[in-house]
Amino acid sequence: MAKISFKLNDQIVEFESDLNRRLLDVLRDDFNLTGPKEGCGEGECGACAVLLNHEIVNSCCTPLANVIGQEVITIEGFSKTKRYEVIKNAFANTGGVQCGFCTPGMIIATESLLNKNPHPTDFEIRIGLSGNLCRCTGYNLIVEAVKEAFKVGEGLW
Amino acid sequence: MVEAFIPKTINECLSLLTEKDLQIVAGGTDVLIQSKSHTSMLIGFKKDVLYINQIEEMKKIYEDDMYIYIGSTASLESIKDNTIVPILLRNTILEMASPAIRHTGTLAGNIANASPAGDSLVSLYILDALVEIKSLNNTRLVFIKDFIKGVRRIDLSSDEIITKIIVPKLVFTNCYFKKVGPRLTDAISKLSFGGAYSVDGKRISDIRIAFGAVNIFVVRNRLLEERLIGKTVSEIKLMIEEIISWYEPLIKPIDDQRSNKEYRKEVALNLLRSFIESLN
Amino acid sequence: MKDISKSINRVDNDEKASGQAKYVADIKYEGMLYAITVRSSIVKGEIINIKYPNLPEGYYVVDYKDIPGKNIVKVIFSDMPVFTEKTISYLYEPIALLVGPDKEVLNKLLKQVSIDYKEDEGVFDWVDSVIHYSFDKGDGKKAFSNKRIIEYTYETSYQEQAYIETQGFVGYPEEEKTTLIGSIQCPYYVKNAVIQALGETEDNVRVIQATVGGAFGGKEEFPSLIGCQLAVAVKKIKKPIQLVYEREEDMLVTTKRHPAKIKFKAAIKDDRIYALGVFAGIDGGATIGLSGVVLSRALIACTGVYTIDHLDVSGDVFKTNTVPNGAFRGFGAPQMFFAIEMFVEHVALALGKDVLEFKKAHLAKQNDFTSTMGIFRDPILIPEMIEKAMEKSLYLEKRKEYDKPNSYKGIGMSIFFHGCGFTGSGEKNVIKAKVRLKKDGDLVYILVAAVEMGQGIKTGFRKLVSHMLDIDIERVIFNNPDTDFVPDSGPTVASRTMMIVGGIIARATKEVKNRWQENTFVVEKEYEQPDYIEYDEETFKGDAYPAYSWGVNIVEVEVDKYSYQVNIKNAWSVYDVGKAIDEKIVTGQADGGLAQGLGYGYLEVMDHRVGKIRQKNMTDYIIPTAMDMCPMKTYLFDNPYAFGPYGAKGVGELSLIGGAPAVAMAIEQAIKRRVHKIPVTPEYIMELIKNGEN
Repeated sequence: MAKISFKLNDQIVEFESDLNRRLLDVLRDDFNLTGPKEGCGEGECGACAVLLNHEIVNSCCTPLANVIGQEVITIEGFSKTKRYEVIKNAFANTGGVQCGFCTPGMIIATESLLNKNPHPTDFEIRIGLSGNLCRCTGYNLIVEAVKEAFKVGEGLW
Repeated sequence: MVEAFIPKTINECLSLLTEKDLQIVAGGTDVLIQSKSHTSMLIGFKKDVLYINQIEEMKKIYEDDMYIYIGSTASLESIKDNTIVPILLRNTILEMASPAIRHTGTLAGNIANASPAGDSLVSLYILDALVEIKSLNNTRLVFIKDFIKGVRRIDLSSDEIITKIIVPKLVFTNCYFKKVGPRLTDAISKLSFGGAYSVDGKRISDIRIAFGAVNIFVVRNRLLEERLIGKTVSEIKLMIEEIISWYEPLIKPIDDQRSNKEYRKEVALNLLRSFIESLN
Repeated sequence: MKDISKSINRVDNDEKASGQAKYVADIKYEGMLYAITVRSSIVKGEIINIKYPNLPEGYYVVDYKDIPGKNIVKVIFSDMPVFTEKTISYLYEPIALLVGPDKEVLNKLLKQVSIDYKEDEGVFDWVDSVIHYSFDKGDGKKAFSNKRIIEYTYETSYQEQAYIETQGFVGYPEEEKTTLIGSIQCPYYVKNAVIQALGETEDNVRVIQATVGGAFGGKEEFPSLIGCQLAVAVKKIKKPIQLVYEREEDMLVTTKRHPAKIKFKAAIKDDRIYALGVFAGIDGGATIGLSGVVLSRALIACTGVYTIDHLDVSGDVFKTNTVPNGAFRGFGAPQMFFAIEMFVEHVALALGKDVLEFKKAHLAKQNDFTSTMGIFRDPILIPEMIEKAMEKSLYLEKRKEYDKPNSYKGIGMSIFFHGCGFTGSGEKNVIKAKVRLKKDGDLVYILVAAVEMGQGIKTGFRKLVSHMLDIDIERVIFNNPDTDFVPDSGPTVASRTMMIVGGIIARATKEVKNRWQENTFVVEKEYEQPDYIEYDEETFKGDAYPAYSWGVNIVEVEVDKYSYQVNIKNAWSVYDVGKAIDEKIVTGQADGGLAQGLGYGYLEVMDHRVGKIRQKNMTDYIIPTAMDMCPMKTYLFDNPYAFGPYGAKGVGELSLIGGAPAVAMAIEQAIKRRVHKIPVTPEYIMELIKNGEN
């Protein structure tokens, strides 16, 4: 067991834990943050995506030890922001949400993409979403959602 | 009970390695999966763990006149985005995994995995990259081709760690990397191919050809490349069938759940053909 | 009044986008235990002896001996035990659950379970026919004599549903009651299965739907198996227990789309297909389950969208020692439509005819007889739909251009339908759907067992009722079904939810509207089958479906001439779904179904070696990413069906069916070779380029 501290959704958290745990389990089991989901457990599907220092990572293959002293934002934290409102509305308007299991991860991917590249081309959007599997939508309307988000949210990123 | 250590400096890290037999973890993107992690359980490490991601000095990417130095915990994304890194390597990284994996995965990790399907290896072989390895009392440099000793076997003893990847500053007239995966992105290679060349006046002054995932090792053969140096592009193009026949016996792929050996072999040689056709 | 098709935003966007929606694995109870499954390590044989390790305090083994009722999972054809007692018929067959508070301990215990077997050799060839169907039309076999005969065979492989949320339940005791919350399509399938396994009364079993993270048929019948297992455990241990699969377990043991082999034989007369012989085999895996129904849906679709007067049709379900196959969006139709679309094209080529003209000449028209001598009663808009799709995609120009040698580009068109709802008299005789609406002051509650699994039914039903009553959608409540509160409106399958359940809701809503002045009341309605529907399941005669939805897909591809990788460039779809209750939702279904159909056609490889599935995770089982898919355009034609709400017919499955043949035909054009199986992988393309028929 070790004393662990990192910034989680804008708050410094401190707790005791074994270090050899997946960040995903820590978020879900210790902090009841169930927005990040386990889809594949091996970094393929992106349902577990969170922002680590404002970049998308898969929390299922991020060890807890690697986030010590870093900043982690889950969908629960991100959903308090203006950027989230814009992205969420765009997903709603275009029809980018179906079963919803991939959606938090898709929104995290969108944020990570726009944070780095506020005006992506269609191709760049598809690259940006390429680590997030969705079985419902065929991605078409999600790509449309990202396009709407950066247009509506001009200046936010 | 598996213990964990999180050194902040290279020296601290090397001391720990001298004292204990440790599983080194950088980004964790591969090793967590290989360690069979189950939901809400401890990661299935078989021995004590050394987390090196918090060592800031190993994240740096910098250059001098001759080389680019890539710290072993620099994320793939930061390498891809850094304009001092050779374009061949940056293009290769763009085809690796997904944005989320690239943000935490490392080049050193991809090398240390020593998987025949490791995406970065082809370009690193072409670039004659060096691996800097340190132990408490020693620093040594090894060419990538010597560092990889077999499938999941590397030239690294238990008290050593990869600290840098060192890439010579080479300028090619043109370079090319093609990963052939089961889908266009976010997948493990069926095979990969890389080529680079320089033309001096009308003649080829340097040409490098490498194949990934079609043999235990990356296939690159300097003797064959040297046969082409000094020739004109049109001379080489006339030799296309001959060149393919040189490489044909070196391509010895396997069947697995992702593809079959016939496909791997034929496509590897097709890509060689397309590379030679593209010379100008 | 506004056109109902005009889109609104889905009612579940906010909770899903923000991560607040609760899926099974997100639900936790104080003192909840975990269950993991003990499975066979052989494909066929008998258990001689099982030795379990000594269990620590608070740990349990739950196996067949604990089943108070029948050790059989109630599905359409019940031949799967809840826990096998002795006989093993496939690899990883469930034998017992280990239950306890700590997963680490459970996993250690699992490794210590030792089982002695008497091992037999598995059967993997398709030799053991467990269901055989046959029927004919017109002159049947006789129609083939003295005609030119053209024969080809087509093969399709496994497809995995690959819902991003794996299978799972949480169960807990409520006094005498056993309650399950699950990721499921069919609350009453699970409830009825559990009643039988526990030997309980109806009142003592309760099933609640959690938010479902994708299903696609994969959560139709399979959850009944693990629901029964967990219910037995809850009944024994009397504590809350979670049973959630990790991905590898899900991929290795859950049902998949049936691999199929379909041989066609056409008798040609006057340059037309005069008679068609169809011989279809599907691999049922180790148990029969739904396989017979899958086969019958496939056989009924054997003529595709074409009218052929003489048919000789037969098919078999083969039992093999492999993981049982089951429901998957399309349910037999994707296999058959791939095969028939390719076949009609290949026959046209063999006759030296223009493929499109040849297909058009055979198209079914209103009042034609179906393959089962039913009647296509509603107008068929396929000719106009083909025109629309061709106009939007510039099909003819591209088709001509890509015909040039070495173009490595291709464009393909598929034409297809889907029979909406259950086959035959299933609705009337088996399901007998009931729907309840409750008006309570300002609010109207929709009480049905239909499940929102991403297809948009929560929005669709609320929109339907609020639109008919002309009230705000917020005043119409539709919660996830809980069998303690909702009647059995049937399973959420077979593209029946809007057309059948929605149709009953619409009738009930009319009554609510008439009685609007009353403050509180309940309206209950049952399914009424249209009078004209008569179907004989034994002879395959009559109207197999009350209505049909229709589609045209055009897909454009480029094949890399060095790597043979397929790049999907563009896709256009035209659908007749009667009337879209919400255009945006239908478009979402259209895109998603097409992506699955395309994946089935060129990308998704799954196979087994001696009974073991080789692609056991999302790394090895390849589904499309955003990079692999393309911009998709969808156009809808109104063609209202009299008994569907506002004329709505089925949507969900239709959009998967045309993807595989369309992409296969596009690849054919790109490589100038004929495709006979899917997926059309780069490996297969290479083989075709070398040895295939031009």
